[in-house]
Amino acid sequence: MKKILYTLLACSALMLTGCEEVIDVDLGTGPKRLVVDASINWIKGTSGNEQTIKLTTTTGYYDAEIPVVSGATVVVANSAGTLYEFTEVPGTGQYVCQYFVPQINEAYTLTILYNGQTYTGSETLYDVPDITSIAQTEDGGFEGNETEIRFFFNDNAAEENYYLSRFDAEFLAIPEYDVNEDRFTNGNEMFEFVSDEDIEPQDIIDIKLYGISKQYYNYMAKLLEVAGGGGGGPFSTPPATVRGNVVNQTDEANYPLGYFRLSRVSAVSYEVQPTE
Amino acid sequence: MNRLFYFYFFMALFTFVSGYSQDKFTLSGSIADSGSNETLIGASVYIKELQIATTTNQYGFYSISLPAGTYTVQVSYVSFGTIEETVELQANVRKNFGLASGTEELEEVIIDGNKPKADIRTPQMSMNRLTAAEIKKMPVVLGEVDVLKSILQLPGVTNAGEGASGFNVRGGASDQNLILLDEATIYNSSHLFGFFSVFNSDAIKDLKLYKGGIPARYGSRVASVLDIYQKEGNSKDFHMNGGIGLISSRLLAEGPIVKDRGSFLVGGRTSYAHLFLKLTDNDNSASFYDFNTKISYKLTENNNLYLSGYFGRDLFNIADNFENTYGNTLLNLRWNHLFSDKLFSNMSMIYSDYYYGLKLDFIGFNWDSGIKNYNFKYDFKHYISNNTKLDYGVNLVYYDFNPGKITPIDDESPINEDQLDKKYAFEPAFYIDAEQKLTDKLSVSYGLRYSLFYRLGSQTLNTYANNQAVAWNNDLKIYEEATPTGTVNYGNNETIADFNNLEPRAAVSYQLTDDQSVKASYNRMAQYLHLISNTASATPLDVWAPSDNFIKPQLLDQVALGYFRNFKNDAYSLEAEVYYKKVKNRIDYIDGADLIANNAIEQVVLNGRSRAYGLELLLRKNEGKFTGWISYTLSRSEQQTPGRTPEELGINNGQWYKTGYDKLHNLSVTSAYELSNKWQFGAIFTLQSGRPVTYPDGQYQYGDIIVPSYGLRNDNRLPAYHHLDVSATYVPKPEKKKGWQGEWVFSIYNLYNRQNAASITFRQNEDNANNEAVRLSIFGVIPSVTYNFKF
Repeated sequence: MKKILYTLLACSALMLTGCEEVIDVDLGTGPKRLVVDASINWIKGTSGNEQTIKLTTTTGYYDAEIPVVSGATVVVANSAGTLYEFTEVPGTGQYVCQYFVPQINEAYTLTILYNGQTYTGSETLYDVPDITSIAQTEDGGFEGNETEIRFFFNDNAAEENYYLSRFDAEFLAIPEYDVNEDRFTNGNEMFEFVSDEDIEPQDIIDIKLYGISKQYYNYMAKLLEVAGGGGGGPFSTPPATVRGNVVNQTDEANYPLGYFRLSRVSAVSYEVQPTE
Repeated sequence: MNRLFYFYFFMALFTFVSGYSQDKFTLSGSIADSGSNETLIGASVYIKELQIATTTNQYGFYSISLPAGTYTVQVSYVSFGTIEETVELQANVRKNFGLASGTEELEEVIIDGNKPKADIRTPQMSMNRLTAAEIKKMPVVLGEVDVLKSILQLPGVTNAGEGASGFNVRGGASDQNLILLDEATIYNSSHLFGFFSVFNSDAIKDLKLYKGGIPARYGSRVASVLDIYQKEGNSKDFHMNGGIGLISSRLLAEGPIVKDRGSFLVGGRTSYAHLFLKLTDNDNSASFYDFNTKISYKLTENNNLYLSGYFGRDLFNIADNFENTYGNTLLNLRWNHLFSDKLFSNMSMIYSDYYYGLKLDFIGFNWDSGIKNYNFKYDFKHYISNNTKLDYGVNLVYYDFNPGKITPIDDESPINEDQLDKKYAFEPAFYIDAEQKLTDKLSVSYGLRYSLFYRLGSQTLNTYANNQAVAWNNDLKIYEEATPTGTVNYGNNETIADFNNLEPRAAVSYQLTDDQSVKASYNRMAQYLHLISNTASATPLDVWAPSDNFIKPQLLDQVALGYFRNFKNDAYSLEAEVYYKKVKNRIDYIDGADLIANNAIEQVVLNGRSRAYGLELLLRKNEGKFTGWISYTLSRSEQQTPGRTPEELGINNGQWYKTGYDKLHNLSVTSAYELSNKWQFGAIFTLQSGRPVTYPDGQYQYGDIIVPSYGLRNDNRLPAYHHLDVSATYVPKPEKKKGWQGEWVFSIYNLYNRQNAASITFRQNEDNANNEAVRLSIFGVIPSVTYNFKF
């Protein structure tokens, strides 16, 4: 929903003989920061015991490698004080826990010790509705000539809900995300979609819908705008570094990036059908 | 109470000033184009014997008081002839003059002393004026002369770049310009994202752009006033003119309703929908149209009625999925009345609105928003004596804001109907302004505007802890939308918030010699409306918000100093000015603020401040076959929003940062060359610093995507912006002055096809996921041909 409006505003200007070209721009490199990719995903139909947290750092914009962070201590605690330790697969920056116990509406706290500094963040695990159906059309996209896959779910009218959706497929070089809220659609059947001119029959599209907090919705809306090239467009807001919910308790100025999120996830795979 | 006292004090002062009346007689009347009876604004009346002069006002009226005697009166106007008449003044005399335009009856008039030149005499500075004749001489871009493009060539005026609506004056935002068409407010000045202006140059008589030293009769915007007057229409004969072009066409008809008493003018323009689009097989379209109308009627010698109207719309359509319509409407009824030879009055009743509509078929979403205003103005011009003129009046505006209404387009739509809270406000203002010639060399003008603003119900408003709608999250070090603690209901017309401001204005000019002077000015202005937009360029989705308990009125203080000189017998003129201004309560938005369909704008807005300063130079060549000007501006425009408490970081860490329309250098060369009476050539060259932008200073990975990270706001600049536009006008039969007259206009926009960056974005390539910087340029080289005709 969000991305649609911004894209449309930009599009209507672009229609005026707009011309895009990849160019070289000299860029400086800012201070190196810890990046926390701590996403606890409890996929429906699984126990959610195995979870992974990734630690990396920022690097120069044109650098090919993302540096990983090894040797950190990563622990998640629930409100009762039960500790779940995440241990690194050596040298990968991936910290894994095999015995995590997810619980809906439970508050969790993440603690990371790295380089003598302590980082913490807290969030709640949010539930999500089921994906009820999937529809395929051939007149999707802004110009109505793309294959579009649309999935539906029912919003809970009793509460304010926020959603994250993610599509993965061969034709997508990077996963496609969108965030959604029920501000205009409370209690209704809602949908999300992906459309692309490169979608072929038999392609498999992995669809995930996550229940998220309002704070994470705001975070991700900003992040997606910045990541999707929204940062700097004529109709974009001035881009700024997007700060998440992980805080450096030792040195405030050396703040980390990334987010500690916990979600229930509805996941389905869809095989693209041949067109008549 | 204190303010009221000051107001009365000023009033008393003015009364005193105007107190001494002499046994003099008044010569007054109107000056018009003898060919059409079109009144002339700013035509000069010069009394040879006494070496004193005056000019006509916006309605072509002049008044000058002289001792009894016989005088030689010289009347002249830019690119019109000069006439001289002897007037016997033994009583008050009403005398109307008719001037022949330079293009007609050429043999009868002597064309001199009526070229554009720097204003040495009056205290008014920081003002640029273009008459219809001067606008017509401007180089043509895209087939038709465009007034906004003309003013962009003046010093101190820029816009954010291609694809950007609006314009920026002296480092001000585009919502800080007061744009008046026949005294009615226009909210959006651009068609097709800045490609065309909403003003049909055929219908325009005169425009003035005030960048500083703004007289007290203007208020409610802090950066500039663009005051445009439409023609009344020819009350002698029926005429039509028009143009057929590749991009747009236009047609204008004017003629008498009652000969020499009443006239009408109807004009229309339209662009062709598909021409802007890439040649694809889809159904996308972008177009605009507008209509101008005016009816003028002279009831008696002392009473004139004018009815003006404007209606314009832009239409976008993308594959029937996305329909976008927006534009201005205005209707204005004015009554000019002469109470006496010395007291001219104009009463206006104005309705104007701006509408924005959006329909998204594929998500079943329909959006309507807009702003309406009802305006009553009563303005007086009092010609007390030759040395003293008074302007005073009252201006009442009632605003009706519709921030947005969302409706489902059909039963299948998942959208619930929603009306964002409508807002209402009332803005009365009173002003008095005096212009006085103290000695032969020293003139002053000083005035005071008292503006009030009432935010009115009915509306239900949120309340917040500590009255703060934006909360600071000290853990995450970010600003967040505060959670309302409750609501308050305000009844119909109940005052929600009110403000009042005294806005003093002052200017002084000192004539060093006959052809050079120095001037200084100060103005304070208040702006109670805010355009809610945090995009780098202004978009047509203009949502205006009134001041309230959270969004404070913007307050400007500006000082300017200038040096003005005409030399080589007025063939050249030089204007140099420096200015400094600061604005209190300039709103800024918290990072990532979502403004679309936001019913609680106060939750994402903080009050900051802005400042701008600069040097402007304008060198003009006013006569000869080769005319034109060079304008250069060196300037800075910055904004700051510090934290409200020591804990808060503020926006951009509370540091000053360049506004999105800061242009360090701005050079423009405008030239016209008359090769023969058949061929005329024009060229405009523009060179500006690139717009400030924020480039990433790193990247990181999150959720399997790459995200750029950023340092401080607007610390980088886009590459320099420049382009050269040329035009050639061919008149096949220049000697033909009656009947069908035609001309061909050939123009090329951006001759050397400079790919100016409208933006540079940083993203992952969709196919290979590599990071890349992508430059978007909107207009390459655009040739165009137009055939203009009149009869």
